[in-house]
Amino acid sequence: MTIRMEKQADKLLLAPEGRLDTVTAPELEKTIKENLDGVTALTFDLADLEYVSSAGLRVLLSAQKAMNGQGEMKLCNVNETIMEIFEVTGFSDILTIE
Amino acid sequence: MKEKKASFWKRFRERLTPDPMFHETEVQANRLGGLMLLCSGIILVLILILVETGIFPLQGAFMRAAIIRALAEITILLVVCKIFKNDTWWLKPLLIVGMVIVYALLDSMLTHKAAILMVLPVVFSSRYFSRRLTIFTSLFTTVVFLFSAIWGATHGFINLNIVTMEEGTRMVATGGFLGDAIQNVLNLDKTAGDKMLIGNTLLYDYLPKWLMFSIVSVISCNIAHRGRDLVVTQHEKDVKSARIESELDLATRIQADMLPNIYPPFPDRHEFDIYATMDPAKEVGGDFYDFFLVDKDHLCMVMADVSGKGVPAALFMMASKIILANNAMMGKSPAQILADTNAAICSNNREEMFVTVWLGILEISTGKLTAANAGHEYPILKAPDGSYEIVKDKHGFVIGAMSGAKYQEYTLDLTPGSKLFLYTDGVPEATAEGDEMFGIERTLEALNQAADLAPVDTLKAIRGAVDAFVKDAEQFDDLTMLSFEYKGKE
Repeated sequence: MTIRMEKQADKLLLAPEGRLDTVTAPELEKTIKENLDGVTALTFDLADLEYVSSAGLRVLLSAQKAMNGQGEMKLCNVNETIMEIFEVTGFSDILTIE
Repeated sequence: MKEKKASFWKRFRERLTPDPMFHETEVQANRLGGLMLLCSGIILVLILILVETGIFPLQGAFMRAAIIRALAEITILLVVCKIFKNDTWWLKPLLIVGMVIVYALLDSMLTHKAAILMVLPVVFSSRYFSRRLTIFTSLFTTVVFLFSAIWGATHGFINLNIVTMEEGTRMVATGGFLGDAIQNVLNLDKTAGDKMLIGNTLLYDYLPKWLMFSIVSVISCNIAHRGRDLVVTQHEKDVKSARIESELDLATRIQADMLPNIYPPFPDRHEFDIYATMDPAKEVGGDFYDFFLVDKDHLCMVMADVSGKGVPAALFMMASKIILANNAMMGKSPAQILADTNAAICSNNREEMFVTVWLGILEISTGKLTAANAGHEYPILKAPDGSYEIVKDKHGFVIGAMSGAKYQEYTLDLTPGSKLFLYTDGVPEATAEGDEMFGIERTLEALNQAADLAPVDTLKAIRGAVDAFVKDAEQFDDLTMLSFEYKGKE
Protein backbone atom coordinates (compact mmCIF):
# COMPACT_ATOMS: atom_id res chain seq x y z
CA MET A 1 0.00 0.00 0.00
CA THR A 2 1.16 3.54 -0.70
CA ILE A 3 -0.03 6.57 1.25
CA ARG A 4 -0.09 9.94 -0.44
CA MET A 5 0.33 12.76 2.06
CA GLU A 6 -0.08 16.53 1.80
CA LYS A 7 0.57 18.68 4.82
CA GLN A 8 -0.02 22.44 5.01
CA ALA A 9 0.35 24.09 8.41
CA ASP A 10 -2.58 22.66 10.41
CA LYS A 11 -4.17 20.79 7.49
CA LEU A 12 -3.32 17.17 6.73
CA LEU A 13 -4.52 15.14 3.77
CA LEU A 14 -3.92 11.40 3.61
CA ALA A 15 -4.77 9.25 0.61
CA PRO A 16 -4.17 5.55 1.19
CA GLU A 17 -4.17 3.46 -1.98
CA GLY A 18 -4.91 -0.24 -2.37
CA ARG A 19 -6.04 -2.48 0.47
CA LEU A 20 -6.22 -1.30 4.07
CA ASP A 21 -6.04 -4.54 6.05
CA THR A 22 -4.15 -6.23 8.90
CA VAL A 23 -0.90 -6.07 6.93
CA THR A 24 -1.10 -2.44 5.82
CA ALA A 25 -3.09 -0.83 8.67
CA PRO A 26 -0.05 -0.44 10.99
CA GLU A 27 1.68 1.63 8.26
CA LEU A 28 -1.23 4.08 8.09
CA GLU A 29 -1.47 4.15 11.88
CA LYS A 30 2.20 5.10 12.09
CA THR A 31 1.87 7.81 9.44
CA ILE A 32 -1.10 9.33 11.28
CA LYS A 33 0.63 9.19 14.66
CA GLU A 34 3.77 10.89 13.33
CA ASN A 35 1.97 13.74 11.59
CA LEU A 36 -1.03 14.53 13.75
CA ASP A 37 0.61 17.04 16.08
CA GLY A 38 -1.08 20.41 15.77
CA VAL A 39 -3.40 19.31 12.95
CA THR A 40 -6.92 20.72 13.17
CA ALA A 41 -8.27 19.48 9.85
CA LEU A 42 -7.60 15.90 8.84
CA THR A 43 -8.94 14.67 5.51
CA PHE A 44 -8.82 11.17 4.12
CA ASP A 45 -9.09 10.90 0.37
CA LEU A 46 -10.30 7.33 -0.22
CA ALA A 47 -10.64 7.53 -4.00
CA ASP A 48 -8.01 4.85 -4.59
CA LEU A 49 -8.84 2.64 -1.62
CA GLU A 50 -10.10 -0.76 -2.72
CA TYR A 51 -10.87 -2.44 0.58
CA VAL A 52 -11.01 -1.78 4.31
CA SER A 53 -10.83 -4.59 6.85
CA SER A 54 -11.66 -4.35 10.53
CA ALA A 55 -8.00 -3.60 11.31
CA GLY A 56 -8.26 -0.63 8.92
CA LEU A 57 -11.49 0.53 10.55
CA ARG A 58 -9.69 0.49 13.88
CA VAL A 59 -7.09 2.94 12.53
CA LEU A 60 -9.83 5.26 11.24
CA LEU A 61 -11.55 5.04 14.62
CA SER A 62 -8.33 5.93 16.46
CA ALA A 63 -7.84 8.90 14.16
CA GLN A 64 -11.43 10.04 14.68
CA LYS A 65 -10.99 9.84 18.44
CA ALA A 66 -7.74 11.75 18.34
CA MET A 67 -9.30 14.44 16.13
CA ASN A 68 -12.34 14.79 18.41
CA GLY A 69 -9.97 16.42 20.84
CA GLN A 70 -8.15 18.74 18.46
CA GLY A 71 -10.22 19.54 15.40
CA GLU A 72 -12.19 17.93 12.60
CA MET A 73 -11.81 14.82 10.51
CA LYS A 74 -13.59 14.04 7.28
CA LEU A 75 -13.52 11.43 4.55
CA CYS A 76 -14.00 12.20 0.90
CA ASN A 77 -14.31 10.27 -2.36
CA VAL A 78 -15.64 7.20 -0.56
CA ASN A 79 -16.52 4.59 -3.16
CA GLU A 80 -19.44 2.20 -3.04
CA THR A 81 -17.59 -0.83 -1.68
CA ILE A 82 -16.04 1.12 1.17
CA MET A 83 -19.32 2.92 1.91
CA GLU A 84 -21.05 -0.42 2.30
CA ILE A 85 -18.45 -1.51 4.85
CA PHE A 86 -18.94 1.75 6.78
CA GLU A 87 -22.72 1.26 6.77
CA VAL A 88 -22.67 -2.36 7.85
CA THR A 89 -20.32 -1.68 10.73
CA GLY A 90 -22.12 1.48 11.81
CA PHE A 91 -19.03 3.58 11.12
CA SER A 92 -21.09 5.81 8.79
CA ASP A 93 -22.80 7.19 11.91
CA ILE A 94 -19.65 8.40 13.61
CA LEU A 95 -17.53 9.46 10.63
CA THR A 96 -18.03 12.63 8.60
CA ILE A 97 -18.34 11.42 5.03
CA GLU A 98 -18.57 13.87 2.15
CA MET B 1 48.83 -46.26 33.50
CA LYS B 2 46.46 -47.68 30.96
CA GLU B 3 43.51 -46.14 32.77
CA LYS B 4 45.12 -42.74 32.79
CA LYS B 5 45.77 -42.98 29.10
CA ALA B 6 42.14 -43.88 28.46
CA SER B 7 40.92 -40.91 30.44
CA PHE B 8 43.24 -38.58 28.53
CA TRP B 9 41.88 -39.97 25.30
CA LYS B 10 38.35 -39.51 26.55
CA ARG B 11 39.03 -35.92 27.55
CA PHE B 12 40.64 -35.29 24.19
CA ARG B 13 37.62 -36.68 22.45
CA GLU B 14 35.19 -34.71 24.59
CA ARG B 15 37.03 -31.50 23.92
CA LEU B 16 36.92 -32.05 20.18
CA THR B 17 33.30 -33.17 20.02
CA PRO B 18 31.25 -30.06 19.32
CA ASP B 19 28.21 -28.97 21.25
CA PRO B 20 25.11 -30.26 19.41
CA MET B 21 24.28 -26.72 18.27
CA PHE B 22 27.62 -26.61 16.43
CA HIS B 23 27.27 -30.00 14.82
CA GLU B 24 25.92 -28.73 11.52
CA THR B 25 28.49 -25.94 11.41
CA GLU B 26 31.25 -28.48 11.91
CA VAL B 27 30.05 -30.77 9.15
CA GLN B 28 29.87 -27.78 6.80
CA ALA B 29 33.38 -26.73 7.85
CA ASN B 30 34.69 -30.25 7.19
CA ARG B 31 33.09 -30.11 3.76
CA LEU B 32 34.77 -26.75 3.12
CA GLY B 33 38.11 -28.26 4.17
CA GLY B 34 37.61 -31.05 1.66
CA LEU B 35 36.77 -28.50 -1.01
CA MET B 36 39.92 -26.49 -0.22
CA LEU B 37 42.06 -29.60 -0.50
CA LEU B 38 40.39 -30.60 -3.75
CA CYS B 39 41.11 -27.16 -5.23
CA SER B 40 44.70 -27.35 -4.01
CA GLY B 41 45.00 -30.77 -5.63
CA ILE B 42 43.72 -29.45 -8.97
CA ILE B 43 46.18 -26.54 -8.83
CA LEU B 44 49.02 -28.96 -8.04
CA VAL B 45 48.14 -31.13 -11.03
CA LEU B 46 48.19 -28.01 -13.22
CA ILE B 47 51.60 -27.01 -11.85
CA LEU B 48 52.86 -30.53 -12.45
CA ILE B 49 51.71 -30.36 -16.06
CA LEU B 50 53.36 -26.95 -16.51
CA VAL B 51 56.59 -28.23 -15.01
CA GLU B 52 56.56 -31.37 -17.14
CA THR B 53 55.96 -29.39 -20.33
CA GLY B 54 58.78 -27.05 -19.39
CA ILE B 55 56.63 -23.90 -19.20
CA PHE B 56 57.53 -23.52 -15.52
CA PRO B 57 61.33 -23.21 -15.19
CA LEU B 58 61.63 -25.35 -12.08
CA GLN B 59 63.90 -28.16 -11.07
CA GLY B 60 61.75 -30.97 -12.43
CA ALA B 61 62.66 -34.04 -10.41
CA PHE B 62 62.55 -32.27 -7.08
CA MET B 63 59.20 -30.60 -7.77
CA ARG B 64 57.72 -33.78 -9.09
CA ALA B 65 58.50 -35.67 -5.93
CA ALA B 66 57.07 -32.96 -3.67
CA ILE B 67 53.92 -32.50 -5.71
CA ILE B 68 53.24 -36.21 -5.86
CA ARG B 69 53.73 -36.47 -2.10
CA ALA B 70 51.29 -33.60 -1.53
CA LEU B 71 48.78 -35.08 -3.97
CA ALA B 72 48.94 -38.43 -2.20
CA GLU B 73 48.26 -36.78 1.14
CA ILE B 74 45.36 -34.77 -0.27
CA THR B 75 43.85 -37.89 -1.79
CA ILE B 76 44.00 -39.74 1.53
CA LEU B 77 42.34 -36.84 3.36
CA LEU B 78 39.62 -36.54 0.73
CA VAL B 79 38.90 -40.27 0.84
CA VAL B 80 38.65 -40.17 4.64
CA CYS B 81 36.25 -37.20 4.44
CA LYS B 82 34.14 -39.08 1.91
CA ILE B 83 34.07 -42.32 3.90
CA PHE B 84 32.95 -40.60 7.09
CA LYS B 85 30.66 -38.21 5.22
CA ASN B 86 32.40 -35.19 6.77
CA ASP B 87 30.80 -36.18 10.02
CA THR B 88 33.12 -37.55 12.67
CA TRP B 89 34.75 -35.82 15.59
CA TRP B 90 38.42 -36.43 14.64
CA LEU B 91 38.08 -35.05 11.11
CA LYS B 92 38.59 -31.51 12.37
CA PRO B 93 42.09 -32.05 13.83
CA LEU B 94 43.00 -34.36 10.95
CA LEU B 95 42.04 -31.78 8.34
CA ILE B 96 43.82 -28.94 10.12
CA VAL B 97 47.03 -30.90 10.71
CA GLY B 98 46.91 -32.47 7.24
CA MET B 99 46.32 -29.12 5.60
CA VAL B 100 49.21 -27.46 7.47
CA ILE B 101 51.54 -30.29 6.42
CA VAL B 102 50.45 -30.27 2.76
CA TYR B 103 50.88 -26.52 2.48
CA ALA B 104 54.19 -26.60 4.40
CA LEU B 105 55.44 -29.22 1.96
CA LEU B 106 54.56 -26.97 -0.96
CA ASP B 107 56.00 -24.00 0.88
CA SER B 108 59.31 -25.81 1.33
CA MET B 109 59.79 -25.98 -2.42
CA LEU B 110 58.03 -22.82 -3.61
CA THR B 111 59.34 -20.79 -0.61
CA HIS B 112 58.80 -17.07 -1.23
CA LYS B 113 56.83 -17.73 -4.43
CA ALA B 114 53.79 -18.86 -2.47
CA ALA B 115 53.84 -16.91 0.76
CA ILE B 116 50.05 -17.04 0.90
CA LEU B 117 50.09 -20.80 1.62
CA MET B 118 50.90 -20.09 5.24
CA VAL B 119 47.61 -18.29 5.97
CA LEU B 120 45.27 -20.84 4.39
CA PRO B 121 44.94 -23.29 7.33
CA VAL B 122 44.42 -20.56 9.92
CA VAL B 123 41.76 -18.82 7.81
CA PHE B 124 40.08 -22.17 7.29
CA SER B 125 40.15 -22.99 11.01
CA SER B 126 38.05 -19.89 11.79
CA ARG B 127 35.16 -21.61 10.04
CA TYR B 128 34.87 -23.97 13.04
CA PHE B 129 33.94 -20.97 15.21
CA SER B 130 36.36 -21.96 17.95
CA ARG B 131 38.95 -19.43 19.01
CA ARG B 132 40.96 -22.11 20.76
CA LEU B 133 41.22 -24.17 17.58
CA THR B 134 42.32 -21.12 15.58
CA ILE B 135 45.01 -20.29 18.14
CA PHE B 136 46.22 -23.90 18.02
CA THR B 137 46.27 -23.80 14.21
CA SER B 138 48.20 -20.55 14.29
CA LEU B 139 50.89 -21.92 16.65
CA PHE B 140 51.12 -25.23 14.81
CA THR B 141 51.48 -23.41 11.48
CA THR B 142 54.23 -21.21 12.97
CA VAL B 143 56.27 -24.26 14.00
CA VAL B 144 55.72 -26.40 10.91
CA PHE B 145 56.40 -23.53 8.53
CA LEU B 146 59.57 -22.71 10.46
CA PHE B 147 60.85 -26.19 9.58
CA SER B 148 59.66 -25.85 6.00
CA ALA B 149 61.48 -22.51 5.76
CA ILE B 150 64.73 -24.10 7.00
CA TRP B 151 64.34 -27.01 4.64
CA GLY B 152 63.27 -24.76 1.78
CA ALA B 153 66.28 -22.47 2.26
CA THR B 154 68.63 -25.17 1.02
CA HIS B 155 66.33 -27.37 -1.03
CA GLY B 156 63.54 -25.19 -2.34
CA PHE B 157 63.11 -22.37 -4.76
CA ILE B 158 65.90 -20.02 -3.85
CA ASN B 159 65.17 -16.37 -3.14
CA LEU B 160 67.98 -14.45 -4.75
CA ASN B 161 67.06 -11.36 -2.79
CA ILE B 162 68.47 -12.89 0.37
CA VAL B 163 71.87 -13.54 -1.14
CA THR B 164 74.35 -10.68 -1.03
CA MET B 165 76.64 -10.68 -4.04
CA GLU B 166 79.21 -8.36 -5.38
CA GLU B 167 78.06 -6.06 -8.14
CA GLY B 168 78.62 -7.49 -11.56
CA THR B 169 78.63 -11.12 -10.41
CA ARG B 170 77.62 -13.47 -13.22
CA MET B 171 75.96 -16.76 -12.55
CA VAL B 172 75.89 -19.69 -14.87
CA ALA B 173 73.26 -22.40 -14.51
CA THR B 174 74.97 -25.73 -14.12
CA GLY B 175 71.96 -28.01 -14.05
CA GLY B 176 72.30 -28.66 -10.31
CA PHE B 177 70.67 -26.84 -7.40
CA LEU B 178 70.75 -23.11 -7.67
CA GLY B 179 71.93 -22.96 -4.07
CA ASP B 180 75.08 -24.84 -5.05
CA ALA B 181 75.73 -22.34 -7.80
CA ILE B 182 75.47 -19.45 -5.34
CA GLN B 183 77.81 -21.20 -2.94
CA ASN B 184 80.30 -21.55 -5.72
CA VAL B 185 80.03 -17.92 -6.64
CA LEU B 186 80.45 -16.81 -3.04
CA ASN B 187 83.26 -19.28 -2.46
CA LEU B 188 81.64 -20.86 0.59
CA ASP B 189 81.85 -24.50 1.65
CA LYS B 190 78.65 -26.52 1.94
CA THR B 191 78.05 -26.04 5.71
CA ALA B 192 78.86 -22.34 5.76
CA GLY B 193 76.72 -21.82 2.64
CA ASP B 194 73.71 -23.61 4.11
CA LYS B 195 74.11 -21.64 7.33
CA MET B 196 74.14 -18.37 5.44
CA LEU B 197 71.09 -19.33 3.37
CA ILE B 198 69.10 -20.55 6.39
CA GLY B 199 70.00 -17.55 8.51
CA ASN B 200 69.10 -15.07 5.80
CA THR B 201 65.91 -16.91 4.91
CA LEU B 202 64.70 -16.85 8.50
CA LEU B 203 65.54 -13.20 8.94
CA TYR B 204 64.49 -11.74 5.58
CA ASP B 205 61.84 -14.18 4.48
CA TYR B 206 60.25 -16.09 7.33
CA LEU B 207 60.11 -13.25 9.86
CA PRO B 208 58.24 -10.69 7.72
CA LYS B 209 55.99 -13.48 6.45
CA TRP B 210 55.25 -14.55 10.02
CA LEU B 211 54.45 -10.96 11.09
CA MET B 212 51.87 -10.70 8.35
CA PHE B 213 50.65 -14.14 9.23
CA SER B 214 50.11 -13.08 12.84
CA ILE B 215 47.79 -10.29 11.68
CA VAL B 216 45.73 -12.81 9.72
CA SER B 217 45.72 -15.05 12.81
CA VAL B 218 44.30 -12.31 14.99
CA ILE B 219 41.60 -11.55 12.42
CA SER B 220 40.77 -15.26 12.13
CA CYS B 221 40.49 -15.55 15.91
CA ASN B 222 38.06 -12.66 15.89
CA ILE B 223 36.00 -14.22 13.08
CA ALA B 224 35.89 -17.53 14.95
CA HIS B 225 34.77 -15.83 18.13
CA ARG B 226 32.13 -13.71 16.43
CA GLY B 227 30.91 -16.73 14.47
CA ARG B 228 30.47 -18.62 17.71
CA ASP B 229 28.43 -15.74 19.16
CA LEU B 230 26.20 -15.69 16.11
CA VAL B 231 25.56 -19.43 16.22
CA VAL B 232 24.75 -19.28 19.94
CA THR B 233 22.40 -16.30 19.46
CA GLN B 234 20.68 -18.00 16.55
CA HIS B 235 20.28 -21.15 18.60
CA GLU B 236 18.69 -19.19 21.45
CA LYS B 237 16.31 -17.58 18.98
CA ASP B 238 15.39 -20.97 17.57
CA VAL B 239 14.64 -22.31 21.03
CA LYS B 240 12.53 -19.25 21.79
CA SER B 241 10.55 -19.44 18.56
CA ALA B 242 9.95 -23.15 19.09
CA ARG B 243 8.54 -22.31 22.51
CA ILE B 244 6.30 -19.59 21.08
CA GLU B 245 5.12 -22.02 18.44
CA SER B 246 4.16 -24.65 20.99
CA GLU B 247 2.43 -22.02 23.12
CA LEU B 248 0.50 -20.83 20.09
CA ASP B 249 -0.45 -24.40 19.35
CA LEU B 250 -1.83 -24.77 22.87
CA ALA B 251 -3.58 -21.38 22.57
CA THR B 252 -5.27 -22.59 19.38
CA ARG B 253 -6.67 -25.60 21.20
CA ILE B 254 -7.77 -23.54 24.20
CA GLN B 255 -9.55 -21.13 21.89
CA ALA B 256 -11.24 -23.93 19.99
CA ASP B 257 -12.38 -25.45 23.28
CA MET B 258 -13.93 -22.14 24.33
CA LEU B 259 -16.47 -22.45 21.53
CA PRO B 260 -19.22 -25.05 21.67
CA ASN B 261 -17.84 -27.82 19.48
CA ILE B 262 -19.48 -31.03 20.62
CA TYR B 263 -22.30 -32.12 18.36
CA PRO B 264 -25.14 -32.53 18.85
CA PRO B 265 -24.91 -29.86 21.54
CA PHE B 266 -28.37 -30.44 22.95
CA PRO B 267 -29.11 -34.13 22.35
CA ASP B 268 -32.53 -33.99 23.99
CA ARG B 269 -33.76 -30.96 22.06
CA HIS B 270 -35.36 -31.85 18.74
CA GLU B 271 -36.96 -28.48 17.94
CA PHE B 272 -33.86 -27.23 16.20
CA ASP B 273 -30.54 -28.25 14.68
CA ILE B 274 -27.42 -26.13 14.88
CA TYR B 275 -23.85 -26.40 13.60
CA ALA B 276 -20.96 -23.95 13.53
CA THR B 277 -17.27 -23.85 12.59
CA MET B 278 -14.36 -21.48 13.02
CA ASP B 279 -11.16 -21.64 10.92
CA PRO B 280 -8.67 -19.00 11.98
CA ALA B 281 -6.34 -17.58 9.30
CA LYS B 282 -3.47 -17.60 11.79
CA GLU B 283 -2.98 -19.98 14.70
CA VAL B 284 -5.54 -18.12 16.74
CA GLY B 285 -8.25 -15.86 15.45
CA GLY B 286 -10.57 -13.05 16.37
CA ASP B 287 -13.82 -14.55 15.09
CA PHE B 288 -16.15 -16.44 17.33
CA TYR B 289 -19.58 -17.96 17.44
CA ASP B 290 -21.49 -19.07 20.48
CA PHE B 291 -24.82 -20.67 21.29
CA PHE B 292 -26.33 -21.71 24.58
CA LEU B 293 -29.68 -22.09 26.29
CA VAL B 294 -30.53 -19.10 28.48
CA ASP B 295 -33.42 -21.10 29.92
CA LYS B 296 -35.52 -24.05 28.74
CA ASP B 297 -37.31 -21.97 26.12
CA HIS B 298 -34.63 -19.53 24.99
CA LEU B 299 -31.64 -20.23 22.77
CA CYS B 300 -29.03 -17.49 22.42
CA MET B 301 -26.90 -17.40 19.24
CA VAL B 302 -23.89 -15.16 18.72
CA MET B 303 -21.68 -14.44 15.70
CA ALA B 304 -18.83 -12.00 16.21
CA ASP B 305 -15.64 -10.67 14.63
CA VAL B 306 -12.88 -8.81 16.47
CA SER B 307 -10.84 -6.18 14.64
CA GLY B 308 -7.50 -7.52 13.47
CA LYS B 309 -6.16 -11.05 13.63
CA GLY B 310 -3.82 -13.28 15.57
CA VAL B 311 -3.01 -13.16 19.27
CA PRO B 312 -4.27 -9.61 20.02
CA ALA B 313 -7.62 -10.39 18.40
CA ALA B 314 -7.81 -13.76 20.20
CA LEU B 315 -7.27 -12.18 23.62
CA PHE B 316 -9.94 -9.59 22.94
CA MET B 317 -12.24 -12.28 21.57
CA MET B 318 -12.00 -14.30 24.80
CA ALA B 319 -12.99 -11.31 26.93
CA SER B 320 -15.84 -10.32 24.56
CA LYS B 321 -17.26 -13.81 24.45
CA ILE B 322 -17.37 -14.16 28.23
CA ILE B 323 -18.88 -10.70 28.83
CA LEU B 324 -21.55 -11.33 26.16
CA ALA B 325 -22.47 -14.74 27.55
CA ASN B 326 -22.61 -13.44 31.14
CA ASN B 327 -24.93 -10.61 30.12
CA ALA B 328 -27.11 -12.96 28.11
CA MET B 329 -27.43 -15.46 30.95
CA MET B 330 -28.91 -12.70 33.11
CA GLY B 331 -31.97 -12.85 30.88
CA LYS B 332 -31.54 -9.41 29.29
CA SER B 333 -32.88 -8.47 25.85
CA PRO B 334 -30.43 -8.57 22.89
CA ALA B 335 -30.18 -4.75 22.65
CA GLN B 336 -29.51 -4.52 26.36
CA ILE B 337 -26.89 -7.29 26.21
CA LEU B 338 -25.01 -5.43 23.46
CA ALA B 339 -25.28 -2.07 25.23
CA ASP B 340 -24.04 -3.49 28.54
CA THR B 341 -21.23 -5.43 26.86
CA ASN B 342 -20.20 -2.24 25.06
CA ALA B 343 -20.17 -0.34 28.35
CA ALA B 344 -18.05 -3.02 30.03
CA ILE B 345 -15.50 -3.14 27.18
CA CYS B 346 -15.35 0.63 26.68
CA SER B 347 -14.55 1.17 30.35
CA ASN B 348 -10.98 0.10 29.70
CA ASN B 349 -10.01 -0.23 26.07
CA ARG B 350 -7.01 1.94 25.39
CA GLU B 351 -5.94 -0.12 22.38
CA GLU B 352 -9.22 0.80 20.68
CA MET B 353 -10.00 -2.76 19.72
CA PHE B 354 -13.60 -3.43 18.78
CA VAL B 355 -15.86 -6.33 17.94
CA THR B 356 -18.82 -6.64 15.60
CA VAL B 357 -21.60 -8.79 17.03
CA TRP B 358 -24.85 -10.23 15.82
CA LEU B 359 -26.82 -11.64 18.74
CA GLY B 360 -30.20 -13.29 18.61
CA ILE B 361 -32.41 -14.98 21.19
CA LEU B 362 -34.93 -17.50 19.94
CA GLU B 363 -38.08 -18.36 21.83
CA ILE B 364 -38.02 -22.04 20.99
CA SER B 365 -41.72 -22.72 21.57
CA THR B 366 -42.95 -19.97 19.23
CA GLY B 367 -40.07 -19.49 16.78
CA LYS B 368 -39.85 -15.79 17.57
CA LEU B 369 -36.28 -14.60 17.10
CA THR B 370 -35.30 -11.29 18.71
CA ALA B 371 -31.99 -9.95 17.49
CA ALA B 372 -29.69 -6.93 17.55
CA ASN B 373 -26.72 -6.13 15.36
CA ALA B 374 -23.61 -4.23 16.42
CA GLY B 375 -21.89 -3.55 13.12
CA HIS B 376 -21.88 -7.19 11.99
CA GLU B 377 -22.65 -8.68 8.59
CA TYR B 378 -26.30 -9.10 7.59
CA PRO B 379 -27.80 -12.43 8.64
CA ILE B 380 -29.15 -14.66 5.87
CA LEU B 381 -32.56 -16.26 6.32
CA LYS B 382 -34.46 -18.89 4.40
CA ALA B 383 -38.23 -19.27 4.77
CA PRO B 384 -39.47 -22.90 4.67
CA ASP B 385 -40.55 -22.72 1.01
CA GLY B 386 -38.38 -19.82 -0.12
CA SER B 387 -34.74 -19.27 -0.88
CA TYR B 388 -31.92 -17.83 1.23
CA GLU B 389 -32.12 -14.05 1.42
CA ILE B 390 -30.22 -11.31 3.16
CA VAL B 391 -32.02 -9.67 6.10
CA LYS B 392 -31.07 -5.99 5.89
CA ASP B 393 -31.36 -5.36 9.58
CA LYS B 394 -30.84 -2.10 11.42
CA HIS B 395 -27.19 -1.73 12.32
CA GLY B 396 -25.75 -0.26 15.48
CA PHE B 397 -22.11 0.71 15.94
CA VAL B 398 -19.44 -1.86 16.65
CA ILE B 399 -18.89 -2.82 20.31
CA GLY B 400 -15.97 -1.31 22.20
CA ALA B 401 -15.50 1.80 20.07
CA MET B 402 -17.80 4.35 21.65
CA SER B 403 -19.19 4.39 25.15
CA GLY B 404 -22.93 4.90 25.51
CA ALA B 405 -23.79 3.28 22.16
CA LYS B 406 -27.43 2.18 21.86
CA TYR B 407 -28.72 -0.77 19.87
CA GLN B 408 -32.04 -1.48 18.22
CA GLU B 409 -33.86 -4.76 18.33
CA TYR B 410 -35.92 -6.43 15.67
CA THR B 411 -37.82 -9.70 15.49
CA LEU B 412 -37.97 -12.43 12.88
CA ASP B 413 -40.61 -15.14 12.95
CA LEU B 414 -39.19 -18.54 12.24
CA THR B 415 -41.59 -21.26 11.15
CA PRO B 416 -40.74 -24.98 11.06
CA GLY B 417 -38.30 -25.43 8.16
CA SER B 418 -36.77 -21.93 8.46
CA LYS B 419 -33.02 -21.77 8.20
CA LEU B 420 -30.64 -19.10 9.39
CA PHE B 421 -27.05 -18.61 8.20
CA LEU B 422 -24.65 -16.44 10.20
CA TYR B 423 -21.08 -15.70 9.13
CA THR B 424 -18.19 -13.30 9.47
CA ASP B 425 -16.67 -11.20 6.69
CA GLY B 426 -14.14 -13.98 6.08
CA VAL B 427 -16.79 -15.71 3.92
CA PRO B 428 -17.81 -12.95 1.44
CA GLU B 429 -14.30 -11.49 1.55
CA ALA B 430 -12.48 -14.76 0.90
CA THR B 431 -10.10 -13.64 -1.82
CA ALA B 432 -8.83 -15.54 -4.83
CA GLU B 433 -5.62 -14.89 -6.71
CA GLY B 434 -5.99 -11.48 -8.36
CA ASP B 435 -7.88 -9.86 -5.47
CA GLU B 436 -11.34 -11.00 -6.53
CA MET B 437 -13.64 -11.61 -3.57
CA PHE B 438 -16.11 -14.44 -3.08
CA GLY B 439 -18.82 -11.86 -2.44
CA ILE B 440 -22.31 -12.04 -1.01
CA GLU B 441 -23.87 -13.10 -4.35
CA ARG B 442 -21.75 -16.25 -4.55
CA THR B 443 -22.48 -16.93 -0.88
CA LEU B 444 -26.23 -16.80 -1.55
CA GLU B 445 -25.85 -18.93 -4.66
CA ALA B 446 -23.91 -21.59 -2.75
CA LEU B 447 -26.46 -21.52 0.06
CA ASN B 448 -29.38 -21.97 -2.29
CA GLN B 449 -27.69 -24.91 -3.96
CA ALA B 450 -27.43 -26.43 -0.49
CA ALA B 451 -30.95 -25.36 0.51
CA ASP B 452 -32.15 -28.85 1.42
CA LEU B 453 -29.15 -29.86 3.47
CA ALA B 454 -28.92 -30.14 7.24
CA PRO B 455 -26.76 -27.51 9.02
CA VAL B 456 -23.60 -29.65 9.16
CA ASP B 457 -23.75 -30.36 5.42
CA THR B 458 -24.70 -26.77 4.61
CA LEU B 459 -21.47 -25.52 6.16
CA LYS B 460 -19.45 -28.21 4.35
CA ALA B 461 -21.00 -27.12 1.05
CA ILE B 462 -20.24 -23.42 1.66
CA ARG B 463 -16.70 -24.22 2.71
CA GLY B 464 -16.32 -26.33 -0.43
CA ALA B 465 -17.60 -23.44 -2.58
CA VAL B 466 -15.22 -20.96 -0.91
CA ASP B 467 -12.26 -23.33 -1.32
CA ALA B 468 -13.09 -23.95 -4.97
CA PHE B 469 -13.21 -20.18 -5.50
CA VAL B 470 -9.99 -19.14 -3.76
CA LYS B 471 -8.10 -22.20 -5.00
CA ASP B 472 -4.46 -21.96 -3.89
CA ALA B 473 -4.57 -18.42 -2.50
CA GLU B 474 -3.64 -18.24 1.16
CA GLN B 475 -6.56 -17.99 3.59
CA PHE B 476 -6.38 -14.36 4.59
CA ASP B 477 -9.16 -13.87 7.12
CA ASP B 478 -10.74 -16.05 9.77
CA LEU B 479 -13.61 -18.08 8.32
CA THR B 480 -16.50 -18.59 10.70
CA MET B 481 -20.04 -19.80 9.95
CA LEU B 482 -23.12 -20.93 11.80
CA SER B 483 -26.07 -22.73 10.31
CA PHE B 484 -29.35 -23.08 12.18
CA GLU B 485 -32.51 -24.94 11.26
CA TYR B 486 -35.79 -24.41 13.12
CA LYS B 487 -37.95 -27.52 13.26
CA GLY B 488 -40.56 -26.43 15.77
CA LYS B 489 -42.59 -28.78 17.93
CA GLU B 490 -42.77 -32.28 16.60
